[in-house]
Amino acid sequence: MAVDWNAIRDRLKAAADALERGVAPSREEAAEILKARARALAEEEAGTGAADGGSIEILEFRLAFENYGIASSHVREVCPLKAFTPLPGVPPFVLGIVNVRGRIFSVIDLKRFFELPDKGLGDLNKVIILGDSMLEFGILADEIAGVRPIRSGEIQPPLPTLTGTRQKYLKGVGRDQLVMLDAEKLLADRDLIVHQESAA
Amino acid sequence: MARKDDDLLKQLLATFAVEAEEHLGAISTGLLELEKAPAGGRRRELIETIFREVHSLKGAARVVNLANVVALCQPLEEVFAALKRADIALARELFDLLHEAVGDLKKLLAGNGAAAAGPAPALIRRLEAAAGGGPAPAESARRRDVGRSSKARGTAAAAQPRAPAQAAAPQAAAVAPRAAADTIRVASWKLDSLFRQAEEMVSARLALEQRVAELREISGAFLAHQRELENVRAQLPAETAAGPDRPPGRWRNGHDVTAAGDPVDAQISGARSLAHRLEALAAAAARDNRALGKMVDGLLDEARHLLMLPVSVLMEPLHKLVRDLAREQGKEVVLTVEGADIEIDRRIQEAMKDPLIHLLRNCIDHGIETAAERRRRRKPAAGTLTVTIAQKTTGRAEITVSDDGRGIDPAKVLAAARKLDIVSAEEAQKLSEREILALVFRSGLSTSPIVTDISGRGLGLSIVQEKVENLGGGMTVESRNGRGTSFRITLPLMLAAYRGVMVHAGDQRFILPAVNVERVARVGREDIRTVENKATLRLGGQVLSLVHLRDALGLPATRGEGSPAFQPVVVLAQGGERIAFAVDEIRQEQEVVLKGLGAQLSRVRNIAGATLVGAGTPVPVLNVADLMKSAVEAGTVPTAAGMAAAGAEEAASILVVEDSITARALLKNILETAGYRVKTAVDGVDALTTLKVEKFDLVVSDVEMPRMNGFDLTAKIRAEKTLADLPVVLVTALASREDRERGIDAGANAYIVKSSFDQGGLLDIVRRLV
Repeated sequence: MAVDWNAIRDRLKAAADALERGVAPSREEAAEILKARARALAEEEAGTGAADGGSIEILEFRLAFENYGIASSHVREVCPLKAFTPLPGVPPFVLGIVNVRGRIFSVIDLKRFFELPDKGLGDLNKVIILGDSMLEFGILADEIAGVRPIRSGEIQPPLPTLTGTRQKYLKGVGRDQLVMLDAEKLLADRDLIVHQESAA
Repeated sequence: MARKDDDLLKQLLATFAVEAEEHLGAISTGLLELEKAPAGGRRRELIETIFREVHSLKGAARVVNLANVVALCQPLEEVFAALKRADIALARELFDLLHEAVGDLKKLLAGNGAAAAGPAPALIRRLEAAAGGGPAPAESARRRDVGRSSKARGTAAAAQPRAPAQAAAPQAAAVAPRAAADTIRVASWKLDSLFRQAEEMVSARLALEQRVAELREISGAFLAHQRELENVRAQLPAETAAGPDRPPGRWRNGHDVTAAGDPVDAQISGARSLAHRLEALAAAAARDNRALGKMVDGLLDEARHLLMLPVSVLMEPLHKLVRDLAREQGKEVVLTVEGADIEIDRRIQEAMKDPLIHLLRNCIDHGIETAAERRRRRKPAAGTLTVTIAQKTTGRAEITVSDDGRGIDPAKVLAAARKLDIVSAEEAQKLSEREILALVFRSGLSTSPIVTDISGRGLGLSIVQEKVENLGGGMTVESRNGRGTSFRITLPLMLAAYRGVMVHAGDQRFILPAVNVERVARVGREDIRTVENKATLRLGGQVLSLVHLRDALGLPATRGEGSPAFQPVVVLAQGGERIAFAVDEIRQEQEVVLKGLGAQLSRVRNIAGATLVGAGTPVPVLNVADLMKSAVEAGTVPTAAGMAAAGAEEAASILVVEDSITARALLKNILETAGYRVKTAVDGVDALTTLKVEKFDLVVSDVEMPRMNGFDLTAKIRAEKTLADLPVVLVTALASREDRERGIDAGANAYIVKSSFDQGGLLDIVRRLV
């Protein structure tokens, strides 16, 4: 195969230009980067002993008064709960359907499973759209706390006190009473699929 | 590099799959035709066609290295080469062998080469033996290969010098007319996706419509606000309006002062110009909306045409199916298809595939007799199945599936219906033969005249009918005992834009598919009867069960249950059954883009999907078949006895006389909605004739009509002895006192002036007079 000298020359020039310009992040950017580094370093220290390495990015949100986290890899997007339409005759855990840019998604209210008190719906409510190749649906969040990386080792096996349905979707618990949900288990649970035949 | 080759091969395989399917289809069809063709005639031409198709398939398979396909095509080609040379004869066993080979080819192609183990060597040996005209394989035939196909053709011509070689040439041209036409091949999923996007434009347009309306509203509100502001400004003393640092004298001119002067006035004038701009913007948006609407309609129309395909695509596989089914049953059946060139929306064809197969299966299972029985009845041994497709009216096709079998015995159908208690003994007495036959579409009734249906398919025809109705079509059955059955299906050529009627029930909005909405009405409380805690409704001379949509959906009762004077109802029809659903409110009918609910809600009872309305709020679209069942389950649908009791009181009949078709339809509708039986006449003469042959309880007549006007009609009615007491209501545009007096002189019981007539007034008078 012939060597594309022109392409190589172009690339070298681009590199030289970049060096000349220098990398000058803004003050805020710099602060943010430093903070992130500090956080990462601190976590490394905290995580020593757990030789599993690796960290995962989680989306942290609130249900009732509890903190939940879910791996962001299964989160398609987060959108505000504007207008939703309840459906007659569906199980109570199905809040209804929402329109996200022309597509209809069903929304599941996990509080119904976890026997958490219903706070009522407000402006802060968000819908987290989860999905894999087979299934896509939204889960209702009372509030979104943000996205952050956590070390895999930080997640401890769930406490035996957490029982029932919650146990079923649980990956573990992290610091600050963070309850990690298992998106894969949620998406794979056939019990969540509503399939009603017509009346006899 | 190897990777690139892989990609290329993958691409080639995909192309090959399409091509192979075409060849295989042609081979299969050709084979079936050949089997039916009489000796001589088209046989030669068909053999030639199939030979070429097999040969092309073999060539194509060789390009993509599908050795197993090549291995099977080879002997198959040899058989046809031998047939061409007339070395061997067309025997029934040969056809079986050839069909088997085609079936195996299909399997091989479906397995896409790698997975398929390859054709059975035994089959290849049998084919080779057949090509040789016996157990000894023909050496010469086996050596032939791709490169020499032209030679093969030459041999064929040489072998039959009496049939000139030119005879084959024009036929060959006729086989592939499509290639010559100005067409291109596009994968169907691409078209589907294009169509979906075009359809999505409807949502966009509906949203824009909403935006335009909102813009208008804001513009109007702003304008009103502006005027108010100017009024306030005019009343304010200038000192207050102006800042304290301004000398007051200059501002006395009030709001008419130039913008450069008073800052408040400047603001007002600025706002005024904004208001005008807003108004202009709203008008421009409305124009854009109209233009876009036209464009979207045009686009959708064109896109719908893209989905039109000749029905032959749907019909082709049926030949093989019929052949196989008949074989299974040990019957002889010949399928003929007429009118396969008519084009129908591909989606309709796809939806019709199963119902059609079901009907054909029915005809073969239950309709067509065994050869022995047919001979006894002096019919030809082979049964005939005919599928005829014809375009009857613009936009509609009729598909007739008929057989010349034993037909449906009405007595047995009735017996089955009685057994299932679908009809009562009394009803059974009254049913006409046609009505009895229609019972085969009832769910649960076995289509077979033999009650112990071996195939166990009691639901079959009701599902077929439901599918046809869902497509916006209709279905009837005709049968002559011992002579045959024929199912007639009418279908739209194109899938109409989905329309829906929006209703409110239990404080929620729902969309009912317009195809199922037979009528909407507001009914008076006196038309609703409650028998055994179950409500019935008398509407248009018919008694329907009445269920609140809210109850059918299991929604809690919401608003104050004080029943309104007029109850809005929607009559839904599905599969020949009708139920009236009470709703809180009936809103507009609109175009609907039906969307699925997603995989998590794989099937929700009563709900077919959802659509987006206005600013994008999802509204559930209801599934009418489910809804009817839910209504019955809700326990509010009355029994037949209850229905009969409620219907005992005969609806009053009214003759509407009116020359304007619009006014006639309006009056008819108002009166029917109120529960009366209505007939119409176009003028006085027509009315008198009708009155002589039929008894009516009331006449509602226009005054100005050709031939005989309302006054004369009234006078004539009063003059007839038998009609003298018949109440007459005159409805007219003539509002003068003289006319009213003239009407009363003529003997009219009431005189309503059209300009003042509202439904309530007319119905009040009618109720008093009947």
